[in-house]
Amino acid sequence: MKRLLLTSALILAGQGAFADEIRVLNWQGYGTDLDWAIAAFTEKTGNTVVHEYFTSEQEMLTKLRTNPGAYDVVLINSAYTAQAKDEGLIDAIDTSKIAHFADLDPSLAGNEDLNPGGALYGVPWTWGLTSIAVNTGDFAEMPTSLSVLWDPAWKGRVSIRDDGLEAVQFAAMALGQNINEITDLDAIKAKLTELLPQITTFWSSENDWNQFMSAGEFAVATYWSGSASRSQAKGLPIAFVVPEEGAIGWLDGLSIPASSTHKGAAAAFIDWMVDPEFYVKWDAEGAPVSSNTKALAALPETSFNRKLVEDPATVARVQFMKPVSDEDREAYLKLWQDLKAAQ
Amino acid sequence: MSNAFLAHLGRAYVGLILFFLYAPILVMAAMSFNASEFYQLPFSFTTDWYAKLAGNREILSAAWRSVWIAVIVTAIATSLGTAASIALFRYDFPGKRVLQVLLFPPIAIPWLITGTAMLIFFFGIGLGRGTPAVILGHVALALPYVIVVVSARLTSFDRTLEEAARSLGASPWQITRAVTVPWILPGIIAGGLFAFAVSFDQFVVSYFLSEPGDSTLPVLIYTSIRKGFTPEINAISTIIIAVSMGIMLLAARYSNFGGER
Amino acid sequence: MATTIAGQDRLRAVTLLSPAYLWLTVAVFLPLSAMAFFSFLSDVPFGGRDWHVTLDNYRAFFETTTYATLLWKSLKLGLIVTAVSVIVGFPCAWVLAKVVKGRSREALFLLVILPFWSNSLVRIFSWAIVLRGNGVLDRAVNAVLPWDVKLNLMFSPTAIVIGLVHSYLPYVILTSYLALQAIDDSLIEAARSLGAKRRTILWRLILPLSAPGIIAGAVLIFVPVVGSFMEPRLLGGRLGTYYGTVIEDQFVAVFNWPLGAALSFILLAVVLAILAAASPILKRART
Repeated sequence: MKRLLLTSALILAGQGAFADEIRVLNWQGYGTDLDWAIAAFTEKTGNTVVHEYFTSEQEMLTKLRTNPGAYDVVLINSAYTAQAKDEGLIDAIDTSKIAHFADLDPSLAGNEDLNPGGALYGVPWTWGLTSIAVNTGDFAEMPTSLSVLWDPAWKGRVSIRDDGLEAVQFAAMALGQNINEITDLDAIKAKLTELLPQITTFWSSENDWNQFMSAGEFAVATYWSGSASRSQAKGLPIAFVVPEEGAIGWLDGLSIPASSTHKGAAAAFIDWMVDPEFYVKWDAEGAPVSSNTKALAALPETSFNRKLVEDPATVARVQFMKPVSDEDREAYLKLWQDLKAAQ
Repeated sequence: MSNAFLAHLGRAYVGLILFFLYAPILVMAAMSFNASEFYQLPFSFTTDWYAKLAGNREILSAAWRSVWIAVIVTAIATSLGTAASIALFRYDFPGKRVLQVLLFPPIAIPWLITGTAMLIFFFGIGLGRGTPAVILGHVALALPYVIVVVSARLTSFDRTLEEAARSLGASPWQITRAVTVPWILPGIIAGGLFAFAVSFDQFVVSYFLSEPGDSTLPVLIYTSIRKGFTPEINAISTIIIAVSMGIMLLAARYSNFGGER
Repeated sequence: MATTIAGQDRLRAVTLLSPAYLWLTVAVFLPLSAMAFFSFLSDVPFGGRDWHVTLDNYRAFFETTTYATLLWKSLKLGLIVTAVSVIVGFPCAWVLAKVVKGRSREALFLLVILPFWSNSLVRIFSWAIVLRGNGVLDRAVNAVLPWDVKLNLMFSPTAIVIGLVHSYLPYVILTSYLALQAIDDSLIEAARSLGAKRRTILWRLILPLSAPGIIAGAVLIFVPVVGSFMEPRLLGGRLGTYYGTVIEDQFVAVFNWPLGAALSFILLAVVLAILAAASPILKRART
């Protein structure tokens, strides 16, 4: 016991800092709250970590607005980074405090949505795709087109998430429109009207999705790439497909709230989150794609994410999601509600 | 049809209702012993989820927090609610109708809106968040249920009992303690049970008003929106139900509150 | 002299009422008033946003048929769930109050509510496991019946009603029990010895006397069910969009609190109007 105390005292002295408790605001079960990762971080730096979770991006912003000083690290999707910066909720990142910053993919570190006004407000952490996954028991051959969602053969065994924006984006892709510059909303409405009778239910969480897929309720459903790798690791007979029309790409960044009182410890935590040592271990449990090129290079050849990023044809088809204005968001929601209400 | 036959039929009916009420609870408990993480059948027995739960400090501390918050909320809501119900029953005064109608907004307006409103308001007045704010919110949401339930019992209360006691020179406090409260005790207990249920399942208020790291069980469950929850949640829920059932059956064994005369 | 007693009574009434109502004022009424204020604004009045007073949010309700359709759908759901709960729950309360005697009555009383000391989301997911195709119910039925039945109640209005009735049944059982148990058995005996038939006793004596309990239970079911969105979403599949869903969306999917607040207050107004319209009928039922 004495020795343990001595060692920890030495570690603390070595860090030259006193221990802080940092507060992280994120989705539950999304990397930052892994037990072993927190334990390792505490051992390295002496800082402890507590979590608070949100259930939607809107509520994440509400929490930031109403609780100044409560959080030190927050996960913000790049489509929302500019809004958070404009409201003065987050600070620019001092990249000199992030030791692994040099290893991050320059195209992500320079991503314009993470750099509103020319300064970095969110450290690119992970990215991934929202596309479709199919039950390999039902599909002898992998579908190549999004039109599989509209295929009458799968009527009643199709699922998407109950999210107006995402539904509109999928319909846009199926119609060959750019998801960030939707021009023909009427065509999208018509397309979604055809989609709804195909749907058995809307899925809401990964576990939900796994349950329905393994119970045979779903044959084809939209899904997140990171979750698909996790479901495969758990033995579900599914395949993740990036159809010829493309897939929705998203990029998640880690930001430091302007009101944070432990900015040094927060930067240290973000640095740990982009550390290859952390990522390789996380990837084994199923994770989205890391922004750190060295971390990706360290993955085993067979890794889901390694295969995903090393297929340039797939990556070229991805349409990365841009910020959406409040007006557009409300218009898409209205369209979606009208369609659902008519069911 | 004989009365005895009807009585048997009645008991069978109650059994059927109890079966309906407990069906999802039984499934929940069964799934805590089922190996499939995706709640798949056929059933295959395991105690792994309990072993995992034992090592999950986050769930255990959240469950414990939910329990003691619900106990405090139940005590406060039941006493304040009972007092208000007695006054609403005993006295006539202008504006009484308004007070009764005011009980409906917190029940009718979805808790998400009420919770958001509390968040904004508590910050506006500088109360902020933390355990006191959580309890303040929970009690407020439980109070209307207590008042409605206790009032439902009071309407069948015979006023002449109070008048008789009063004519014998008893003070209002004595009347309340010796006559009114014993009569409405089943109502108070039912109100308390509902108050506990409201608090124990309350997500929105705890979600908005808890400090980071101070999650309650519903917050952990509802915020698992991306990954979903695992059978560990079934395991902790099963333990809580089993322990409560033990306590309740003991309480039923050694007390008399069903209103038996 | 009379005025001093009234004065004392008033003091007592205030003493008994003020703790509960002060609490409600601080924690619910004032926050909801702020929300009511937001419902008349074009945008929330913080975060440096531009806002002005407007009726647009209320007008939005009438501009499309979506909201009215969904509100109507939710009201129907509320009525069905309430009716089923009362019809199923009242006989159960009767047996508990009048047939079961002794200690087992207390035990049953507690057992009725115990399932609700669990998480509602966990309960709904358990229902999903029971109701889905190849689920518990499907397997149980097929184990009993010799021929093959494909039973899949999941993602249907029936599933929503089952889930909601389950969630709210204890309210009507317990409130009816509280009223029924208060009816003096000798009153029923007297009616019987005067030659009244069972039906007459039920309609003329028991129902009127237990009406306050039934009504309290019905109100506690109807009011929250109209605004519910969790059970419909998880059990109703693509048919599970109700009025509560569109309110929730304004807070979760988009940042439009003013519209969400306006839709909530329209819900409140409609529910209160229905209760007000029903109250003369209910009063007559009591006497």
